[in-house]
Amino acid sequence: MNKNNYALFSALFLAYFFSLVYSPNLVAQPQGHEHAAVPSTGKPESEGAKIVSGFKFKPLNFVPSKVDRVVLENGMILYLLEDHDLPLFNITARIRTGAVYEPIEKAGLASLTGYVMRNGGTLSMQADKMNEELEFMAASVETSIDRESGSASLSSLKKDIDKGLKIFADVLMNPAFPEDKIRMRKDEVIESIRRENDNPAQIAGREFRKIMYDSRHPYNRKVEGTLESIEKITRDDMVAFHKKYFHPNNIILGISGDFNKEEIIRKLNTAFAGWKKEEILFPEIPKVEKRFERSVYYVYKDINQANVLMGHLGIHRKSPDYFPVMIMNFILGGGSFTARIPGRIRSDEGLAYSAYSVFQTSRDTGMFFVSCQTKLESTNRAISIALEELDKIRKMPVDKDELAQAKETFMNQFVFRFTTSASIVGQKIDIEYEELPLNYLETYLDNVQAVTQEDVQRVARKYLHPDEIKVLVVGDKEKFDKPLDSFGKVNVIELK
Amino acid sequence: MGKKSLVLVLSVFAFTVLFAGGVCADTLKLDVKEYVLKNGLKLLMLEKHDVPIVCVRINYKVGSVDERPGITGVSHLFEHMMFKGTKMFGTRNYTAEKSLLEKEDDLVVKVSAEKTHTKTTDKKKIESLEKELDEVRKKLRDLVVKDEVFSLYLRHGASGLNAATSTDGTYYFCDLPANKLELWAFIESDRMKNLVLREFYSERDVVMEERRLRTENSPFGLLIEQLNAVTFIAHPYRWPTIGWRSDVQNITKAETAEYFKRYYAPNNAVIVMVGDFNPDDAIKLVEKYFSDIPSQPAPPTVKTVEPEQKGERRVEIEFESNPYIAISYHIPAVGHPDLYALDVLSSLLSDGRTSRLYKSMIEDKRIAVMAHAYDEISKYPDTFTFLAAPRAPHTVAEVESAIYEEIEKLKNAPPSDWELQKIKNQLEADFIRDLNSASGLANEIGHFEVLSDWRYINTFLDKVAQVTAEDVMRVAMKYFTKNNRTVAILVKKENNTKMKETKENNRPEKSTVTY
Repeated sequence: MNKNNYALFSALFLAYFFSLVYSPNLVAQPQGHEHAAVPSTGKPESEGAKIVSGFKFKPLNFVPSKVDRVVLENGMILYLLEDHDLPLFNITARIRTGAVYEPIEKAGLASLTGYVMRNGGTLSMQADKMNEELEFMAASVETSIDRESGSASLSSLKKDIDKGLKIFADVLMNPAFPEDKIRMRKDEVIESIRRENDNPAQIAGREFRKIMYDSRHPYNRKVEGTLESIEKITRDDMVAFHKKYFHPNNIILGISGDFNKEEIIRKLNTAFAGWKKEEILFPEIPKVEKRFERSVYYVYKDINQANVLMGHLGIHRKSPDYFPVMIMNFILGGGSFTARIPGRIRSDEGLAYSAYSVFQTSRDTGMFFVSCQTKLESTNRAISIALEELDKIRKMPVDKDELAQAKETFMNQFVFRFTTSASIVGQKIDIEYEELPLNYLETYLDNVQAVTQEDVQRVARKYLHPDEIKVLVVGDKEKFDKPLDSFGKVNVIELK
Repeated sequence: MGKKSLVLVLSVFAFTVLFAGGVCADTLKLDVKEYVLKNGLKLLMLEKHDVPIVCVRINYKVGSVDERPGITGVSHLFEHMMFKGTKMFGTRNYTAEKSLLEKEDDLVVKVSAEKTHTKTTDKKKIESLEKELDEVRKKLRDLVVKDEVFSLYLRHGASGLNAATSTDGTYYFCDLPANKLELWAFIESDRMKNLVLREFYSERDVVMEERRLRTENSPFGLLIEQLNAVTFIAHPYRWPTIGWRSDVQNITKAETAEYFKRYYAPNNAVIVMVGDFNPDDAIKLVEKYFSDIPSQPAPPTVKTVEPEQKGERRVEIEFESNPYIAISYHIPAVGHPDLYALDVLSSLLSDGRTSRLYKSMIEDKRIAVMAHAYDEISKYPDTFTFLAAPRAPHTVAEVESAIYEEIEKLKNAPPSDWELQKIKNQLEADFIRDLNSASGLANEIGHFEVLSDWRYINTFLDKVAQVTAEDVMRVAMKYFTKNNRTVAILVKKENNTKMKETKENNRPEKSTVTY
């Protein structure tokens, strides 16, 4: 009925990017304990805000549902949350694997394996049959392997739990990897690589990663692989990659919906019967080398808007400074219109529709970057503003009210982490997968609350390096307002 | 999510027989409560008490279809302006600001008048006017409380803050912790009463950047823009919702203000609330804040009817990108009974791995990497569109004929019972899954109310259940004709002068195939 179309048009014409606020890597996933309303401490500047400050809001009494953690005999970790409101059933799983474990000459192996696992069917059920069976009961089973983790999911109606579980378990344990489906997927990936240069943002994203990380490090490359590496991947490689990482003791399942806990554990034991624990030797991943150096990169494309990415290495997911960095970045450029970079580049000067900053976190050191797209004639201006803001937040403590705005936003939005049972168990498995403290959600609000002005300035100084930043611009330099070399020596990247 | 909410939720969504007898379409209904204020403002409410949040939408029945050449894009520009504040939000002193804003408008008009006299342009005069303008803007900036509406919402925990504009409507999204509903009522009613067009000129530039991002430098955006411009020759669906470049750059504040007065009236708006609230309290709250806003004369309706298409139209777009193809067929507006069969048709063609386009074009022939078909259900007759991307070395021509092949199959043989049942099963399951999300439900109720009536959602499954295999064949024959179609093809730009220049500047040479 074209709910789909609704999504399409809103995606096309949203005035404000969700990504400004909801950069998935930036915003932590809270959960967990009763919390009262956070009193607003902002000092009202307008007549309207003065009236609002007189509003008395009732406390929000809210106790998130408790999630059970169970470890099966085969080592599989389960998070379970019964939710009988609707006759639905969902599993999301994370598997410790990823493109970081593939050899460089076979780049793309992990991603290809994750895709064909599901799309190629299993030893006992051909792909066509599986597609028909799942789609007829309006269920889905999907798998994928990303840079640092594998995922699998099942979604079905309550009445189809048994059939769904059987297929889900079969896909995880016995994928067939037929040659024709491997070829088909390789060709699709090749076409998507061919098409990368059609889109300025894709060019920027790909090239930025290359200049951030050493070419020997797996963070340097795209998980899809290259035209050369994809052709080197064989079926045997995929079978071996699957065999190495897919064991019950390497999987965390988050289960939510209309089921009974004891019963579902029995069913899981049946579905995964015979699947044994196995020790996995993970290949060593080189440490990310941190090197900071001012440099400028330019990619020519015949477009009328420059695509700018500028940044350097930042923090990893388990950094003790995670919370102060998150708050600092909210003030700098992550907090939508309340943040400084979009405030100046977009709101004050009308130079961009989208302008924001992100600390992207991963197991090892992730990237910090500022992103914006601006007409060619204001490229230099937009970059200069961003640099000024990095400098400013290092030199001067943030305003008390700015800090309060950031903290209150995180704390008052807390309840939105619990809107569905699937999202609640999803956060639980992420926390365990990322090896964060298991009480992460229970301590989340305190961690946000604890961030001080001094913390913000300390982490700004420690993790922002405007003098040693790398600036990448995709566009047509003939029309830039000033030559790019005012920011440093320009390296030209040629598109193949 | 806990057990406590079970009883309440079941009383809201009546589908108690689901477990025993399987999914029964009759019972899948939303129990939406309706209330209309004296000024015509409609309030639609759906209780869902499992999580203490309320998802609120305020939608205005105005979109790009209500525009005219010269001001295309004004609905969307206006949507941006709604975040700039009111007489009491976003300003330290409105009285002082008001005269400065007038001064700014006056200077903008003067500068633009000077600049248009190309032959007699007085550079010195322009310089002095621009200097004056800068000073006024500096003073204005000191009076502004930057993006205050947004900040207030955020610090009170609002989530999913956003807005969208389509051809038919303008939508404002806000999900709130359940205890903050009054904040929403206060801010939104004030935006309806006292909006101030501040930072107008810089926001117009922001929208231009949005246009560059989404349309001018996006193969997909450009393709769809050109497709619509050729598919419709008379009806306003021909221009893009974001507006034509020259219009966006030149829309005046006066035109925007007039638009606001005409369309942002309570009788042209609908409020949707889904979540953890008490309807009686919500009615009291909305009465308290919105009832004093006067209604306006009913806005004009669109009179232009798209004439019947008299033959295939084709358009080619040169762009720096690999090829894409889009094909559109005219279909009727919301309310027409054929749309249910067209919905089934779109699922049959492109939903999932068992869909016909996927199986034939992506799996079997392997000539495409993307193939979609979707029907746009809109307030006025819109289109059924096919979108595809060929896989090199296959061409758009191959993809185009493969699509026609599938269309011929639909005309010559009815879909199987299995296919029809699969689609009906999926639509029912989608309905149940949608009940999980208060935010999604609020979007849907608000969307269909803007098009025609939210009850569309409650009759949808019954109507789809009645669609037969013959209906699907019949609508394929009726709408998928050569006379009724427009084909847009995006092809790789062949720019010889640029190529030459490129070589001279020692830039990378562009070949016809890039990666």
